[in-house]
Amino acid sequence: MGYHHRMQSPLAPREPGSGHGRLWLLTRVAFILFAGAVIWLLTLTHQSDVEERRATLISDMLWLEQNLRFNLLRNEEHLAHLVSNRPEALAAFNPGARVVLSEGRGLRRIVWLDRQGQVRKSAPQGVEPQNLDANDSKTAQATTVRFAHSLGRATYSGAYPGPDGDWLFEVHVPVDEDGEFIGVAMGVYSVRRLLDDSVPWWLTERYRIALTDTSGKELVARSKVAPVRAEAGYQLSFDPPGHGLALLATPYAPPPSPVRNILSVALVGLAVAVLWSLWVLRRHAQRRLAAESALHAEHAFRQAMEDSLQTGMRARDLKGKVIYVNQAFCKMVGWSAEELIGREPPMPYLVDAEFAATAQLHDRILAGEGPEEGFELRLKRRNGEVFTALIHEAPLIDGSGRQTGWMSSIIDITDRKLAEEQARRQQERLQATSRLVAMGEMASSMAHELNQPLAAISGYSTAALNLLRSGSSADDVAPALEKSIEQTRRAGQVIRRIYRLARRSDGLSTPLRLDALVDAALALLEPDLQRQEVHVARDYAVQPTVVGDQVLLEQAIFNLLRNAMEAMQVTPAAERSLQVRLHGEAGYVDLSIADSGTGIAPDLADKLFDPLFTTKSEGMGMGLAICRTVVENHRGRLWFENNADGHGTCFHMLLPIAKT
Amino acid sequence: MTSACPPACAHVVDDDPAVRDALAWLLKSRNVACRTWASATDFLAQATPQLRGCLVLDVRMPGMSGTELFDRLNEVQCTLPVLFLTGHGDVPMAVQAIKGGAFDFLEKPYDDNALVDRIIAALAQDATVLADLQERERIDKQLELLTQREREVMERILAGKLNKVIADELGIAMRTVEVHRARIFEKMNVRSAVELSQRLGRYGA
Repeated sequence: MGYHHRMQSPLAPREPGSGHGRLWLLTRVAFILFAGAVIWLLTLTHQSDVEERRATLISDMLWLEQNLRFNLLRNEEHLAHLVSNRPEALAAFNPGARVVLSEGRGLRRIVWLDRQGQVRKSAPQGVEPQNLDANDSKTAQATTVRFAHSLGRATYSGAYPGPDGDWLFEVHVPVDEDGEFIGVAMGVYSVRRLLDDSVPWWLTERYRIALTDTSGKELVARSKVAPVRAEAGYQLSFDPPGHGLALLATPYAPPPSPVRNILSVALVGLAVAVLWSLWVLRRHAQRRLAAESALHAEHAFRQAMEDSLQTGMRARDLKGKVIYVNQAFCKMVGWSAEELIGREPPMPYLVDAEFAATAQLHDRILAGEGPEEGFELRLKRRNGEVFTALIHEAPLIDGSGRQTGWMSSIIDITDRKLAEEQARRQQERLQATSRLVAMGEMASSMAHELNQPLAAISGYSTAALNLLRSGSSADDVAPALEKSIEQTRRAGQVIRRIYRLARRSDGLSTPLRLDALVDAALALLEPDLQRQEVHVARDYAVQPTVVGDQVLLEQAIFNLLRNAMEAMQVTPAAERSLQVRLHGEAGYVDLSIADSGTGIAPDLADKLFDPLFTTKSEGMGMGLAICRTVVENHRGRLWFENNADGHGTCFHMLLPIAKT
Repeated sequence: MTSACPPACAHVVDDDPAVRDALAWLLKSRNVACRTWASATDFLAQATPQLRGCLVLDVRMPGMSGTELFDRLNEVQCTLPVLFLTGHGDVPMAVQAIKGGAFDFLEKPYDDNALVDRIIAALAQDATVLADLQERERIDKQLELLTQREREVMERILAGKLNKVIADELGIAMRTVEVHRARIFEKMNVRSAVELSQRLGRYGA
């Protein structure tokens, strides 16, 4: 348990970490790095993909060019074989040309030209090339023939438009036999057919293949209808076959790769999820931080509240073990919290003498029968000092509504008690003083009243004496003496009046229970007796009835009891005892009041009952004198003797028992 | 006892008629003139500045007390000697009364004849005071008769200067100084400069 103020309570929040911000910065940087890495990776993959595709494109194109050139070379060879000076060559031309044409290497037509450039043979038959009729074609043809002859090797013409939007170009293969130029085998290529024949299907799946002239105009294309990525195209010169012809391959947009897309989407999704969870985490942390700081403030507030309390707080579990004490309580009793917490009864701060009573009270409280208005208990400080505490108990209820112990508030009311005590004593002193003042006033007034006739008597007497001495006659002197006698009478009246005043009491005949009177007087003295820790022992052997004045007798008994108590002021507390006895004795009751005080010095014994004799600083010296007068007025006797053991005094009051 | 007022007598102020009467008897038995007053207010109402003699005051009286009356008389600068009688010896009050100029303070019970002796002494003191007053008045009247020049000459005579010096100082003839001197002695009713000095010196003229 032990949520005691100096230990770190489990409920006490920690200080909010100062490294929190740094942590968040780190998290942010890490996330940004992660996102950057992902993007970079994606970009890199894409780039390498593009490059790979480009490399593929280039190698494909190179392969295509190779293939084309190979086809063209094959055709050149085949064409060269078709032309010969041998006689069977004319007959063999057509079948041979058909075979070459059917081989599907882009040739559309084959023409045998003689040394002058005249057509000797042409295949397929019946199909005359239009372009041969065209002037420019003819010129080109002638130029080509010449070129071929002069170069001695196959020569290609430029491309020219053919039927149906097709483009054509020619190859002139000079044929030498036996070192003599015999003619030219001319092949007319259809660009479209060449492409159709030479470009394999898998290539056209990937690329759009087109032939362009020098100006970049597209002559023929092999393509599917599909979006084309123009920027990624690759151009390859197709020269020598055509002057300025170029082969352009443009890759189609690659088919979307589902795996890659899913991966990308997953990556982006994951990043978003991470970002979101970070944000949620951060919000949660912020809320937690706010809650923590609020809790911290609340805790500090409660701690300050608790420390500022002047009221002692103490919590005990159901067995009575101390589980919590606050600073004020520790200060009050003088034991530290460490020493008190975990302690089980008996507690060190209980007064030994009142242990039994305290334990009983304690049991009652634990049983839930403690007085609701609180109770006063005398507790002991560590230095042995005893103080009075006002204690309130309340059940300690835990979070689930179960009672786990008792919480007590303890207020040190010693000062309050002391103040009350002082106020009471002040009041008593005031009353005594006012009694004194009143008495003084009365005495003064009486003295004056008595002085007046005395002064007059003295005056008259002296005058009479003076007159007698001066030889006056008796008649002259007599009036002065008569007046003197008159004043004597007046003085007598004053004295009678005083006497009547002093004797004004007529309550001397009430039957009274003496034990009740003693109890009443003891009750009056109770607070003082408790304060002085005087142990009172009563021993009433009889319960007698006496006849007298209740107030006077009670006052007399009260005086005797108070004297006894005051006689023990310097006696050690443990030895302070007051024994009150009532004994019957041949028609009389003997009330004896014995103290264990200092006793009465022998030289004071004689003067003890004299009026105005006192051993007390505040005393009037009337107490015992009045007591004796009261007792004697009740036909009793008052005396004292020192105790046999030499400690203290015993006062005896002997009063006649009333006859019933 | 009559209330007739002789030129100087003992004035007894006491609220108690018996005490008053007894005191009157006592004083009469010693041949001291006296007048009795029932209260301090009575006395104040009827007393005149010309009243001479002495005052016997009971301290404790209903209405105006003895000490109160004494203070009132001091206020009007009455020079009557005052004897206090008190039933309860209040020392601080007695001291204050004596300091305030009371003649005496007697505590009851007192010796009656001793009281009368003190009263006689008080009357004698009053008589001396009265005589002094009268002498003072006489001197004042005589001084008024002197001329200005005579007064100047008298001042120098009292300063112990010789006639010649006086004549030089005042710028008059020595003979004239002698004439002034004779006139001064005559007017002041003295025979010598020493006597003149004594008469005036006693009153600080």
